[in-house]
Amino acid sequence: MTQTQHTNRPRGGSSEPLLSVRDLRVTFQRQGEEEFHAVDGVSFDVRPGQTVGLVGESGCGKSVTSLAIMGLLPGRGNRVSGSAIFDGEDLLTLSPAAMRDRRGSEIAMIFQDPLSSLNPVISIGRQVTEVMERHQGLSRKQATPKAVELLERVGIPDPKARLLNYPHQLSGGMRQRALIAMALACNPRLLIADEPTTALDVTIQAQILALLKELVVDTGTALVMITHDLGVVAGLCDEVNVLYGGKVVERGGRHGLFRDPRHPYTVGLLNSIPRLDAARGEKLSPVPGSVADNLPWTSACAFAPRCSQVVDACTRETPQWEGDQVVGHRCFNPMGGTR
Amino acid sequence: MTQTSESSSDATSDGTDVLVEASDLEVYFPIKSGIIFDRTVGHVRAVDGVDLTIHRGETYGLVGESGCGKSTLGKAILNLEPPTAGSVVFDGTDIASLKGEDLRRERKRFQMVFQDPMSSLDPRQTVENLLLEGMRAHGLDTDKDATRARLRELMSSVGLPVAALSKYPHEFSGGQRQRIGIARALSVGPDLIVADEPVSALDVSIQAQVINLLQDLQDELGLTYLVVAHDLAVVRHISDRIGVMYLGGLVEESDGAELYDVPLHPYTRALMSAVPVPDPQVEDSREQILLTGDLPSPANPPSGCRFHTRCPWKQETLCDTERPQLRVVEVDGASASHRVACHYAEQVASGEIQPHQVEAVSVESGFTGPVDGPDAPPEAYVGV
Amino acid sequence: MNDTTNHTTDDSTDHSTDDRTEDARGARPTFGQRRKDRIDQLATAGTVDDEPGVSLIRSAWKRLRRNPIFLIGAAITLAFIVLAIISPWIAPWDVTARPLLDKVRPQSNPVPGPEPGHFLGADDRGRDLFSRLLVGSRQTLIVGVVATLFGLLGGLTLGTIAGAVGGWVDSLVMRIVDVMLSIPSLLLAFTVASLARNPSQWTLVIAIAIIQVPIFARLLRGSMLAQRASDHVLAARSLGVRPTAIVFRHMLPNALGPVIVQATLSLAVAIIDAAALSFLGLGNPDQSQPEWGQMLGRAQPFITEAPHLAFYPAGCIIVVALGFTLMGESLREALDPKTRR
Repeated sequence: MTQTQHTNRPRGGSSEPLLSVRDLRVTFQRQGEEEFHAVDGVSFDVRPGQTVGLVGESGCGKSVTSLAIMGLLPGRGNRVSGSAIFDGEDLLTLSPAAMRDRRGSEIAMIFQDPLSSLNPVISIGRQVTEVMERHQGLSRKQATPKAVELLERVGIPDPKARLLNYPHQLSGGMRQRALIAMALACNPRLLIADEPTTALDVTIQAQILALLKELVVDTGTALVMITHDLGVVAGLCDEVNVLYGGKVVERGGRHGLFRDPRHPYTVGLLNSIPRLDAARGEKLSPVPGSVADNLPWTSACAFAPRCSQVVDACTRETPQWEGDQVVGHRCFNPMGGTR
Repeated sequence: MTQTSESSSDATSDGTDVLVEASDLEVYFPIKSGIIFDRTVGHVRAVDGVDLTIHRGETYGLVGESGCGKSTLGKAILNLEPPTAGSVVFDGTDIASLKGEDLRRERKRFQMVFQDPMSSLDPRQTVENLLLEGMRAHGLDTDKDATRARLRELMSSVGLPVAALSKYPHEFSGGQRQRIGIARALSVGPDLIVADEPVSALDVSIQAQVINLLQDLQDELGLTYLVVAHDLAVVRHISDRIGVMYLGGLVEESDGAELYDVPLHPYTRALMSAVPVPDPQVEDSREQILLTGDLPSPANPPSGCRFHTRCPWKQETLCDTERPQLRVVEVDGASASHRVACHYAEQVASGEIQPHQVEAVSVESGFTGPVDGPDAPPEAYVGV
Repeated sequence: MNDTTNHTTDDSTDHSTDDRTEDARGARPTFGQRRKDRIDQLATAGTVDDEPGVSLIRSAWKRLRRNPIFLIGAAITLAFIVLAIISPWIAPWDVTARPLLDKVRPQSNPVPGPEPGHFLGADDRGRDLFSRLLVGSRQTLIVGVVATLFGLLGGLTLGTIAGAVGGWVDSLVMRIVDVMLSIPSLLLAFTVASLARNPSQWTLVIAIAIIQVPIFARLLRGSMLAQRASDHVLAARSLGVRPTAIVFRHMLPNALGPVIVQATLSLAVAIIDAAALSFLGLGNPDQSQPEWGQMLGRAQPFITEAPHLAFYPAGCIIVVALGFTLMGESLREALDPKTRR
């Protein structure tokens, strides 16, 4: 019951990336309106067995990034460019049929709201076995014992009985577990989790996070964790990408980023979270303004109007990426710098 | 503190003013079923016997997970959700028994700030109208110039420009909307503000702005807050005292810092260990108590201690038969104001009782209707 | 940013007397300090531009103005209304005059065809068809609009009572409405219309209004209930706003959207229903006040020899109904909060 968490994991540092996203751009265009760059040149790597976090607030493009990689964006009204090389193939140029084959078998996704991502009129068991029937060519008979095994593995009590339940009969935490079971049905090599615990209570969140952690360690699946919660990132991710206004503004290893954040936005985020282990009365220092104040990246740093470290260059030119695929930031006047 | 009360205000032993005293508060929602005539087939016990005291000028934080009845309790204290039983004495007046016009007139003394700043602002009213409305309803808008000045003061006190007065709610960002919601609550000059999840709908960077604003306003106006939230870190940050709720009842109540240092109830411990801390070193080293299973249904709460079905410290006796009452315990570091509802709090604290594995209870008890019943899930009743 | 700050300071100097009284009373001793802090905070809260606010209706209108479907619907409707108003003056012939009476041969040529001066020909009485169509728009418009207005009024009253009061009043009103809805609407209209001893256009209006009342009542009641459960109504309640003010300031205005849309769509239905009742002889029998439905009804005996006699009024009804429907649908889209940005 009580478990002590593992220490810093030096896993996956040197191996070839499993997913390599380069200069991903997603542009939305609505009739009669200006183009909106939801994702504006995002690059990152995910190695086997590694957990990579995409962190940011609403509107930073983290969810759109994952949907674009999965080929799940609505067909009309958007443009996707760049590349997402998964195992030597560019996912962005695959045909819809080929992408469907990858989805669910090689790459799986977990969504924020488990109730709306499960089909309400099909039993949990059918939904899990269906994935295996579709991708592994199993018969329903062969798939059922595997489904029971999966449900048990994700910690659903009395899995045999649960097979016959419908999603509304399960609690939120159990639904999310069922969804994870579905995602794991075909042993995917990459798992993308989009705010998987945001709709859940903290005690349930702790259960789900522990489960995800365990799965990554046991199966070697790579995990892309999309979240707004830096606390979740701190406990789970090996590498963290902080997104702002559609661009990665800072990247670093888990310990490095939290110990020595360079970008003022990362610093601002960390300073604006009330911490359970801080004394009362310590004033929070919030990031002023809101994303509505952003400048366009084309001729400035989008964060400049809200930034405490702003210098002249910030409102005149686009800050370039300083660093590599492991550590770096995008700022003219970074903070800290002792690492 | 501009209001004067008719009755003399009670004073506790330590000399602080009691502003709100809720005793034995219950809010039950009937579960109805039937084809032609609705029959009451049971009750969702959203709030089930809560005693709560809030002192003047303090911030009381109410924390718990969804479905524990914390929001309902907040609303019941304001009589927005009429209590089924019990009393809420606000500065000498029992609000729970007030009705109609009498209640309406009292409302200027206690206000609410809502979770979702968009849905709690009428989309068809300008900010000015939203702010004027409460003043009008309580006859505070007699002098035109004074009213204008008051509006400007309200706007500046929540950090919004006067130009915002002529705008509509949909033209603001989430954080700005919440500021308008706070200004509206302040417009009638209340003593008590119940804030129901005031920051949980906001982005992280905006949350801190609103938390700071609430604190500044309290320092300035001497407000008393009841903050209802699911986020223990937020509650701990702004509260003087914290009450932890589980399944309709308070399980622990204490000074904020003390609760963190000496959590006595097993549920508080589990809750505290589940909150992620944005610091990898803390995350890697700390001990986590993972609870199994889900919250049982408030329509059919477990016997005895409500938490015994999930409690890693559960004992053979008492736990499942007798409901523990809040009591002061003799534990190092626990002061006289620290109360806990656990039969074995002392033994748990001393380590005499060690946690054990808990078999997850079948989830039928969770927030789900009966297998064959099309009943709406109880969230509909409780979560509001 | 700078603009807003300036604006604030300007305003405060204008009314500085208020502030001073505030200070003099000693209620807020640190007012100056506070103001300074607040101006710093203006930056924290993010910017608000100085433009006056744009209400939801105005922003819906902005979207509507660019919607081609709405524009087509509005053009048809507008043309119809203008024609209906000016028709008596532009109609080439009086509607009761029978200029082609001498061409009517009951056996060989019951309906005179088009000829110079009468480009749609005449009806079986030798009256100019085009003139009658033009003037007929008047009755059609009056019946459609007035009936919908009456129905709307009745529905609003019932729906507001049911939605605002709730409890047994709500149950009573809604059971009555259910009974009315359970009778097929046209059948109900026949029953009402046939009760009148002397059918006139007002019989039509009342009959159609009555069948529309339950539709509006149910719709409004539903959206009133949704409003009653909403956070902003709870907020108004917690503010201590009087119950009547809550109903009329917060619940009703926010609940009206779907009802307005329904009213636009109902206009089309009302026009078609009016035509149907007239067709069946339950409308205004007065030949001096032509109406499209009535004309359609009178065209029936000649449907094989002169289908155009039925085709023109039917076509007019369809086009006008389409106009209202297009407008209603695009209005619904524009008012839908999901499409709002």
